Amino acid sequence: MTELNFVFGDPRVCSGCMTCANVCSMYFYKVISPARSRNRVLRIEPALDFPLFCRNCEDAPCIDACPEQALMRTSKGVVIVNNKKCVGHGECVKACPYYAIQIHPDTGKAFKCIQCGECVDRCPADALFMTTEKDLAERDKDGSMMMLYEHHKEEIYGKEEESR
Amino acid sequence: MIDGVGGHTLWVNLTKGSIEKKPLDEEVISNYLMGAGYLSRVLFDLIPQGIDPLSEKNVLGMATGLLTGSMFPQASRHVIAALSPLTDIWGESHAAGFWGAELKFAGYDAIVFTGASTSPVYLNIKDDDVDLLDAEEAGIWGKDVFETDDILKEKHGKRIRTLSIGQAGENLVRFAAIMNDRDRASARSGLGAVMGSKRLKAVSVRGTGKLTVADPKNYLKQIDVFHKRMMANPFTPGRIKYGTTSLVELMQHIGRLPSYNMRQGVFDGFEKISGDAINEKYLVKARADFSCLQRCGRYTAVRSGPYTYEGGAPEFETQSAMGSRCGNDNLESVLFGHHLANQYGLDTISLGGTISWAMEAWDEGLLTADDTGGVDLSWGNHETVVRLTRMIAMREGFGDVLAEGSARAAQKIGRGTDKFVMAVKKQEIAGQEPRAQKSMGLAAATAARGADHLYAFPVLDEAGFDEEIRERFGKQYLPEMADRLSPKYKGIMVKECEDYMVMIESVGLCKYGTQIPPEFFYEDIAVALKIHNGLELTKRDLQVIGERIVNLNRLFNARLGVTRKDDCLPERLTKEKAPLGPPAGEVVELDAMLDEYYTERGWDLKTGLPTKDTLERLGLEEDV
Repeated sequence: MTELNFVFGDPRVCSGCMTCANVCSMYFYKVISPARSRNRVLRIEPALDFPLFCRNCEDAPCIDACPEQALMRTSKGVVIVNNKKCVGHGECVKACPYYAIQIHPDTGKAFKCIQCGECVDRCPADALFMTTEKDLAERDKDGSMMMLYEHHKEEIYGKEEESR
Repeated sequence: MIDGVGGHTLWVNLTKGSIEKKPLDEEVISNYLMGAGYLSRVLFDLIPQGIDPLSEKNVLGMATGLLTGSMFPQASRHVIAALSPLTDIWGESHAAGFWGAELKFAGYDAIVFTGASTSPVYLNIKDDDVDLLDAEEAGIWGKDVFETDDILKEKHGKRIRTLSIGQAGENLVRFAAIMNDRDRASARSGLGAVMGSKRLKAVSVRGTGKLTVADPKNYLKQIDVFHKRMMANPFTPGRIKYGTTSLVELMQHIGRLPSYNMRQGVFDGFEKISGDAINEKYLVKARADFSCLQRCGRYTAVRSGPYTYEGGAPEFETQSAMGSRCGNDNLESVLFGHHLANQYGLDTISLGGTISWAMEAWDEGLLTADDTGGVDLSWGNHETVVRLTRMIAMREGFGDVLAEGSARAAQKIGRGTDKFVMAVKKQEIAGQEPRAQKSMGLAAATAARGADHLYAFPVLDEAGFDEEIRERFGKQYLPEMADRLSPKYKGIMVKECEDYMVMIESVGLCKYGTQIPPEFFYEDIAVALKIHNGLELTKRDLQVIGERIVNLNRLFNARLGVTRKDDCLPERLTKEKAPLGPPAGEVVELDAMLDEYYTERGWDLKTGLPTKDTLERLGLEEDV
């Protein structure tokens, strides 16, 4: 299997400007709306801004969780939602450890980052990159970036209603 | 219905506790846009004459701009306005952050508060649900800005955006700020005290809605062009690196750094409070507001000692006001002082301006320990600067006198201390020693909210923007208009800059990117309003709207008795020659500049008020 790509960002470099989220909701849904973006941006004091995306897990618990088999991985390794099959009951949302798949407020169907990369090039802080697990380990040699994600995991992956 | 807006306004009667939702008034938009223009129109009609700004009769408006929440660079701003308790005339203040965009996502473009509540309340907005809630029960009354943000997030969810006053607003300090997103300040005009007088502690907002845009097909393509231009601008890397903090060095260089109240424009200790000094030891991160590419916001920390803190601070204005202006080169105290001002909700400009007034009066022997309750007001006493910040916010001891602002404090103390009040229309002059930049002197004299560098923000003569002056005004004005020490053509420049800047505050954009650096101009705003809102407005249309707003602000003040005589500067700046540095020997030639300004405006030279012809041209003849 080829290595799986995903978008990731450094919370120390991310300025919190929401450009990625705005690009996303505009690119896919032709509106500006963080609630309709396939990623999230969370500011956590002190001075951290987490740009949060689908991590494209190897085991993809979202796929297994769907009773309708609405989720699948493409030949390019991207997990996508089949809107014809999705009925929006949200089992995938519950299964995702990163709160990276959600139910769209207008369509009622699951939606998630599909690693299109539209936001990456437009990040004014150069905080975002398309990466793989291996590449990420290279970039974060001292582990300090991943430590921040680990340290704040409850806040950034918490699924209470108000987390996006 | 236009695109790119929330679509409704909220009308909150605090006396009755009632909330009314109205559709956006598109006729007002066609003549005034939103933001500053909208509030100028609405409050002109609503605020009665002859009222106490801290009475229930005052009306407090908060409005986003037409492009707030858009993807245009720096489209993050909102405007707050009311009759000012500091100046007793038009009061207006602006801030960036996320609150404005969130309000639009919730479906609202503006909120107008009338009346006053008998007990402390806050307004909580969650999309269609809008409630006035008990601020005492929520445990936020009496709390500082950060505590209020923490408590409201605990209560309503961590994704809400909060706007609130701190203790300074509750205690009716006349230069209390309204804070949002913890460290963004609508600082000037003392509007925090208006909120306090209405016993309105906070407005928390959560919006899960969307902004539609008028041209979805081309939107991202056009935004990409704007973003590329902003990022390619030669000023952008410096803005990201320093925010506004390196202005200390630049202003020292041109002798425009107010020091020792405003005795001079150069400060020996400037390097110690400079942008480089901050970056070297204290900068944690450059932070952005919504859609902001320049991220001038500083997040800093002092890790040990008496001034330990961590948070969003500072701005150049604070380095100047609490630093050089107080003769204070202790950087940690300046940073901590700014942090405290955010926490209590104070305008750092008027705060530093008022403390430095007291310091000069002390230096002249006109204020003594008997007056101050033992507080030592020697130049550069950083402990005093920090201590007074607390005392002013809490109105303790001598802080209670200073909480009235320098003009009222001088009136109370007497003994000729009014000579040292560096204010216009009772608002303290910001960090621009105008003898070193004449346009800033004129701008401070004419601004609608009293001394103000932002109403016109005439920065094009500051640092070699000859090319932009040629483009925006015409080559016939060079070289004089670009010469910061020449009064020539500054009336033309300030008039045009005022019209442009109030328009910018009406669309919700930042002055960074539109004025310094002067990357975007009328034509770009017209394109943005077209693709975002679907408005077909030409450069000329936008210029006239800006001019109309300035004239309406003038009429608001004229109703309260403001005329040419009030468009003045402290005598020090017009009569005493600058003692040191590049502007040595200079005074502000205010009268000559005013003549040119009024002529350009179509205002009467003697009264400084709009002529009948001017008002008719702008459709304001019925507002006299």
